[in-house]
Amino acid sequence: MQKKNRGMIIAFLTPALFFFVMTFVYPIIRTAIMSFYKIDNVTASMDQWSFTGLSNYMKLLTTPVFKTAMLNLLKIWLIGGLIVMSLALLFAVILTSGIKGKKFFRAVIYLPNIVSAVALAVMWQQYVFSNKFGLFKPIADALGFQWLDAGHKFMSLLIAYCFGMVGYHMLIFLSGIESIDTQYYEASTIDGASKPRQFRYITLPLLKGCFKTNITMWTITSAGFFLWSQLFSSVTTDTAVITPLVYLYMQTFGSGNTVTERNAGIGAAIGMLLAFFVVMVFLITNRLFKNDDLEL
Amino acid sequence: MSNKKHNGPRLSGEMTKQVKLIPGYILIGIWVLFTFVLLGWVVCASLSTTKEIFKGEVGSFPSGLHFENYGKAWSSQNVSQIFMNSLVYSIVSCALLIVICAPCAYVLSRFKFIGNKSIQSGFVAAMGVPVAMIVLPLFCLIAQMNLVDNGIKNRLVLIFLYIGINVPYTTIFLLNFFANLSKSFEEAAEIDGCPPMRIFWKIMFPMAQPGIITVTIFNFINVWNEYFLSLIFANHDALRPVAVGLYSMISSMKYTGDWSGMFAAVVIVFLPTFILYITLSEKIIAGVTAGGVKG
Repeated sequence: MQKKNRGMIIAFLTPALFFFVMTFVYPIIRTAIMSFYKIDNVTASMDQWSFTGLSNYMKLLTTPVFKTAMLNLLKIWLIGGLIVMSLALLFAVILTSGIKGKKFFRAVIYLPNIVSAVALAVMWQQYVFSNKFGLFKPIADALGFQWLDAGHKFMSLLIAYCFGMVGYHMLIFLSGIESIDTQYYEASTIDGASKPRQFRYITLPLLKGCFKTNITMWTITSAGFFLWSQLFSSVTTDTAVITPLVYLYMQTFGSGNTVTERNAGIGAAIGMLLAFFVVMVFLITNRLFKNDDLEL
Repeated sequence: MSNKKHNGPRLSGEMTKQVKLIPGYILIGIWVLFTFVLLGWVVCASLSTTKEIFKGEVGSFPSGLHFENYGKAWSSQNVSQIFMNSLVYSIVSCALLIVICAPCAYVLSRFKFIGNKSIQSGFVAAMGVPVAMIVLPLFCLIAQMNLVDNGIKNRLVLIFLYIGINVPYTTIFLLNFFANLSKSFEEAAEIDGCPPMRIFWKIMFPMAQPGIITVTIFNFINVWNEYFLSLIFANHDALRPVAVGLYSMISSMKYTGDWSGMFAAVVIVFLPTFILYITLSEKIIAGVTAGGVKG
C-alpha cells in the first residue's frame, strides 16, 4: 500500500514544498545568518559579508528612530489590541444575544477586512480626518486640535486601523460563542445566575481558545504593520507613525534621510526581532491560556 | 428550536427581550451606520466635482452626477493598467495555488509517511512568519538572477511570490477540508483498480470543490490587496498591482488636485473584492473561522 503510493506522494508534495522552501525556509535561514554580519549591499554574495556578532542588534537598540519604531509597534499592539479585542468581544456578545438582523450586521462589520487597506486609509485620511470637510472634524474642533497634526497623527492612525480590524476578530469570538452548548446557559438560568455572571463564568472561560487565536493573529498582523504607517506619513521620515517594518524598508530599499549607513544586516536583525516578538507573545499566550483539552 | 411554536402566547416575553437588547442595537447600529457613511461618502465623492468636495457638498450633487470621473480615472490615470495587472496576478496565482496545494493537502491528510507532521507544523508556523524575516533574501535572490530586468520576468516573479506566501495557508485550509471527506469513495475506486493519482483528480478533487472555492476567494482578496512585496518587487509603474498603483496615484494626486478622480480610482480598486463579498459573504464569513488556524 505505502510502496504503491510513494510515487504519488512525492509528485504531489514536491511543487508545494518547492514554493515553501523558496519563500520561507531558505529566506528565514539566510535572514537569521545575515543578522550577525555587516553587509554593505543586500545583493552582496556571502564572501563579502563580514561577521560582527551581535553588533547589528546593539546598533539597533541604540538607534533612537528604531526605538521609536519599536515603541510605536508596542503601542499599536497593546492599545490597539485592547480596543479591538474589547469591541470584537462586545459585538460578538451583542450579535449572539438574540438581536434581529444578525447576519446582516455581521456581514457589514466584517466588510472593511476585504477592502484594500490603501482604499480604506484614503477614506479615513481624506474624509473622516479631513480638516476641511471631515466627518470627525467637529470633535477635533471642539477639543481644539487637528486629527492629522504631528501630535495626534498616531492616535488617528490607531483609530482608523482598529476600525478595520474589529470584524475579523469578532468573527473568531462569534464562532466560539456559538459553539458553546446552550444547556450551560439554561441550567445556570434555572439556578438563578444573572447575565453578567453567566458571561463571566461560562462564556469567558470557554472562549480561551478564541482568545489564543485572536491574540496570535493580532500579533502577526501587528508585526507586519507597514501600509497604514506609510500612508499616514507625509514625508519619508515621519517618526510619529514609524514602525520597524517601515524602518527596515527605508534602511534597505528606501531613500529616507534617516539612513546613516547601508547595512542589510541591520534589516535582517529587524526581521529577527519581529519574529522574536511574535514567538514570545505566542509562548506567553499559550502559557496564560493553558489548553485544558477544551475543543471548541 | 421550540421558540417558533410558542410565538403566540410568548409574544410579550419576546417584546421585553427585544427592549432589553436596545443598547446592543444602538451600539451595533452606530458602527454599521458609520461603515455605510464611510463607503457611501467615497462613492458620492467619486461622482462629484473636486470643487463640490471641498465645499462640503458631497451627497447633494448640485451639478448632477459626474460619471465621467470614472472614465477619466480609468483611461488617464493608469487605473485600467493597474486594474488589469492585478486581475492577471490574482487569477493566475489563485489557479496555480489550487493546482499546487490541493494535491499536497490531499497526501498530507490521507497518507502516513515520515515528515508528514513536520511539514504540517512547518506550514502552520510559516503563517506566523513576519514578512520582514523573508524579504531580504528574496530580494537578493531575485536581483542576482536578474529576474526583474524585463516586464514578463518581473510579472512572473510577482506571481511566484504571491503563490509562495499563500502556499501554507491554502494547503492547511484544504488539508482540513480533505480530512473531513469520507474515505469510502477512494476505497471503492481502489478496489476497482483505479490508480491513486487518477482517484485524486477524478474523485477527490471535484469533491473538494466547496473548500477550493472558499480558499480561492480568500487568496483572491489577499493577492488583490497585497502591498508590501508588490511595492518592493514591482520594478516599473506599468507592472504595479492596484494597491501600490493606488498609493502612488494618491501621492501624486495631492499635487494634481483631481480629487474626484482619486475617489473614483479608490472605488474602482475596492469594487472587485466588494462585489465578491456582496455575493458570497456567507461563504466568506464561514471560511474565516474554518481557516484551520487553531491554537
